[in-house]
Amino acid sequence: METADRHLLSTSVDPRLQRVQRHATEFHLLEQPEEWQTFEVFHQRRRGEHHVHVGSVHAPDAEMALVFAKEQFARRQQCASLWVVASAHIHSLGYQNEDMFATTTEKTYREASGYRLRHKIQAYKQSVQHESNS
Amino acid sequence: MYGGGYVFCEPDVHGQPDDPERLAEFEARIDRGEKIEPQDWMPYEYRRQLIRLIEQHAHSEIMGALPEGAWITRAPGFKRKLALIAKVQDEVGHAQLLYSAAETLGKSRADMVNDLLSGKSKYSNVFNYPAKTWADVTVIGFLIDAAAIVNQVANSKGSYGPYCRALERICYEESFHLKQGYDAFVALATGTKRQREMLQDAINRWYRPIIHFFGPPDNESVHSKQLMRWKVKMASNDEMRNQFLDAYVPKVLELGLTFPDPELRKDPQTGRWHYGDPDWAEFYRVINGDGPCNAERLSARRLAEENGRWIRQAIMNPQQKFTIPFA
Amino acid sequence: MNPIVELITKLGDDAFILGHRHSEWTGLGPILEEDIAMSSMAQDKIGHALALYTILHEQFGGPDPDTIGFLRNEKEFRCCHLVEYPNGEYDFTLVRHFLFDHAELLRYQLLRQSTFAPLARFAAKVMGELKYHVLHADSLMQRLALGNEESHARLQASLTEAFPLAAGIFEKSPYEDQLIAEGVFAGEALLQQQWLKEIEQRVQAWDLHLPEAREPLAGLGGRYGYHTPYLQPLLDELTSVFRSEENASW
Ligand SMILES: [Fe+2]
Ligand SMILES: [Fe+2]
Repeated sequence: METADRHLLSTSVDPRLQRVQRHATEFHLLEQPEEWQTFEVFHQRRRGEHHVHVGSVHAPDAEMALVFAKEQFARRQQCASLWVVASAHIHSLGYQNEDMFATTTEKTYREASGYRLRHKIQAYKQSVQHESNS
Repeated sequence: MYGGGYVFCEPDVHGQPDDPERLAEFEARIDRGEKIEPQDWMPYEYRRQLIRLIEQHAHSEIMGALPEGAWITRAPGFKRKLALIAKVQDEVGHAQLLYSAAETLGKSRADMVNDLLSGKSKYSNVFNYPAKTWADVTVIGFLIDAAAIVNQVANSKGSYGPYCRALERICYEESFHLKQGYDAFVALATGTKRQREMLQDAINRWYRPIIHFFGPPDNESVHSKQLMRWKVKMASNDEMRNQFLDAYVPKVLELGLTFPDPELRKDPQTGRWHYGDPDWAEFYRVINGDGPCNAERLSARRLAEENGRWIRQAIMNPQQKFTIPFA
Repeated sequence: MNPIVELITKLGDDAFILGHRHSEWTGLGPILEEDIAMSSMAQDKIGHALALYTILHEQFGGPDPDTIGFLRNEKEFRCCHLVEYPNGEYDFTLVRHFLFDHAELLRYQLLRQSTFAPLARFAAKVMGELKYHVLHADSLMQRLALGNEESHARLQASLTEAFPLAAGIFEKSPYEDQLIAEGVFAGEALLQQQWLKEIEQRVQAWDLHLPEAREPLAGLGGRYGYHTPYLQPLLDELTSVFRSEENASW
């Protein structure tokens, strides 16, 4: 850290900074700053529920990602389990192909609501009744 | 926490013009109230301004940890000490969430941090003032977090998905910040004579930075029209400031405390608050680096960066490349 | 002093002072994710102190926890020297955290069997947090020890400094025999033995070594109120606001 920095910190109202003692290495910005990988974090609130994506962490590997994710994403909310997966390993199908998700043609054959029987049964019952009456 | 003092970039004249058809599609999506996701096509300016906005917000969180952090080792009693550590920790957590949200737009955290440390990036002015006494911590926790909530709730209704998701969690935590801040504030306000004096003194010193918090008056803000149309900027500075004053000035006054501004009053006709000239020249001086603590804040972050660098480098896996997160 | 009060006081003081040291990193720590993790552990530790002081207050008629934490003088503290040392650079913080938390986890495992029920209950409660502290320490220590030349050298230097001080964690209480006989606590000697096994095993696997020669009294005295020169200034800072106004509530 530069001497100027050290002087500045010694006049801080923060006692933690006043105490900083550094060897006179000079702080320099990196031209190509390095970064750990990113991992996506999935959080399960209670057993039986789905794991839900809650964000990401920077970490050198998956195990450290879990150590970090635990405090960044489960320090407050109830948590039963956490998953992490390298962001690079996520494959997505989505926005550019949004039209694929649209249902345009008649697809009620695969919905429960596409099957209505009551009226048929009612009509049948009526017709039987009618026959026996006549 | 972050205010409305955003410094958006000047429109880039060298940027490629946007494909009008895609632009129309993009704007129609925003008009329908749909969110924009990272993989979507977006106008060049939209991406640029959003990176700038979210990055500044992230920097403000991490810088915001410093003034209050100064009192962690001196917080009086277990309850205050634990709450303050948790609160400052949350602010660091907010920075973590926001850097990730900005990363989805293609700028890595390392690059953002570099820009902060070199002085290229801005952050909220309010954190360039020192927290001189314990009472300052209570004023920050109560009033500045309250102001930040007004701003962040507005932003959480914006158009960019990852930013909104981060803000949802942030706003949830901010409500704890406000509560613990108010609690500590009221403890002083209802305490001994010296405690009240300490608090009044802190209010006097923080009043102007708080008025500055939402940024310059609307008639001085440049190019916010397009950003509002794109739901990058969600509410005008004056609107947010008024909303804040309306909600929190009475809460301070009812405790028999005052603000150092004889012109501060609400116009019963219009419902708008009037305040005396807060010296906007000072706002610009501070945002351009010449505030009481700008240099100290930067060197504190340089220290943190230095603390982390050898650790990061020692466990860098050369095979693995940084990937843009989904956030 | 009541032997159980003495025991709980030293446990509480260790947790309080180390938690305070950890919290000095909040907002200044290396890498955001690590800053957050360390702040959580700081809160856990201070929370443990609060819980232990509360036992003193409720079970033994001691003063309220704030008074115990913020108004005692230095001589009345029973923390070990290891926790009093300044944070230094992050390597020292990490190594101390590693040495201390392995002892802490084992200690509370033993205390789950304590015949003093409030302590046994508390021990069961903190197990999860301590497991995380140890996982965190081990994960980072291992990676940095096996990382690059600089990180290995840093950890080794800090280990050489901190390991002798760690002996102070296990300094025997004046009531040691009584505590063991009554089944309150299985004793510092047994704990130290278990701890050394855990530490040696890891240090070896990570290409680090424990310093050979040790000053026989290094790190000792804390349990009897004899502290390093670092404790008094820490307490001055810690209590400065709390003591600044008599009979005030904050
Ligand atoms: Fe925040
Ligand atoms: Fe906040």
